[in-house]
Amino acid sequence: MVFEDIYRDYWNKVFRICMGYVNDKDLAKDMAQETFILIWRKLPQFRNESAVGTWIYRIASNNCLRQIERSNRMPKTELPEQIEDTLEPDMEWQSRLLYKCIAELPETDRIIISLELEDVKQAEIAKITGLSESNVRVKIFRIKEKLTQKFKQYEREY
Amino acid sequence: MSENIDFKELWNRGKASAPDVSEIFAKANRLTRKTRCKIWWSNIILSITILLMIFIWWYYQPQLLTTKIGLILILIAIVIFLVTTNQLSPLLAKADEETDSRHFLEQVIRIKHKQEFLNKTMLTVYFILLSIGITLYFIEYASRGSLLFQVLAYGITFAWIIFNWIYIKTRTIKKQQKAINDIIARLEEVNGQFGDSPLN
Repeated sequence: MVFEDIYRDYWNKVFRICMGYVNDKDLAKDMAQETFILIWRKLPQFRNESAVGTWIYRIASNNCLRQIERSNRMPKTELPEQIEDTLEPDMEWQSRLLYKCIAELPETDRIIISLELEDVKQAEIAKITGLSESNVRVKIFRIKEKLTQKFKQYEREY
Repeated sequence: MSENIDFKELWNRGKASAPDVSEIFAKANRLTRKTRCKIWWSNIILSITILLMIFIWWYYQPQLLTTKIGLILILIAIVIFLVTTNQLSPLLAKADEETDSRHFLEQVIRIKHKQEFLNKTMLTVYFILLSIGITLYFIEYASRGSLLFQVLAYGITFAWIIFNWIYIKTRTIKKQQKAINDIIARLEEVNGQFGDSPLN
């Protein structure tokens, strides 16, 4: 497994998960970079016991959860931006709204719905989060309901 | 459920230009260097402290055993303090990111509890050793002076120790505890979100 391939294939996926978690583009990019640093360091020990995707999403999700202990002490600026982002077209407002709604959910719900939207199978989501499959299914259903409600409410307000 | 919102489509619009892969390597190396640098610094401070103590021992040639014991206790106190703050805590902070989130959170909570215990215990041990050490160290030099000097020297020293014990130690521990406890509370709250029942 070559790191460069993983990086190319998973950058946007990992970025979106971080973005769903914090809804802050710069912070999400920093978190995605941290995730890839972890992946790079741990890759030599990766033994294919689980699918590489599951492994990556586990690291990404746990790194998101790490924000809980960092949020009070780690300033965002600690990991500076290197590449200019001017070429990136801004996300449209509906998409931005979706990320905003997700980031307002409870932490674990953010991760579960992000993985679901990333088309990760429910059995894999169960392996990533440590929940049972049936539990994941029910939770996804409820989160989607909550998300739709929130989304529509905001849409009306704008 | 709404049929007309395609969340997946909206979700997939979220993209960010990936920094060049060499940037990831560079950053990883920088982080490693930073950690190494931190360990180096604590080792340098530790070495300087030990050298200073040896110098005092050699230069002033203390006669009484109490002075020597005092010096050793002060040294142990400083070493304990430095080791705890600089090396033990980061070691404890290593959680396994490759496990599932539920276990990960439990692990982090356990680590934080350990850290809380360590901080509290080590700080108490540090203050006790330092106080006894300073008191013993002073015996020899105070006994050489007049009674007034002795009373003053001990009075000031004890006042200083009591001030440290009551004010600084209590405050420091309280501050550290609050920071860690806040994090533990947040972590437990998030872990509770997983709950066993899907109804949670």
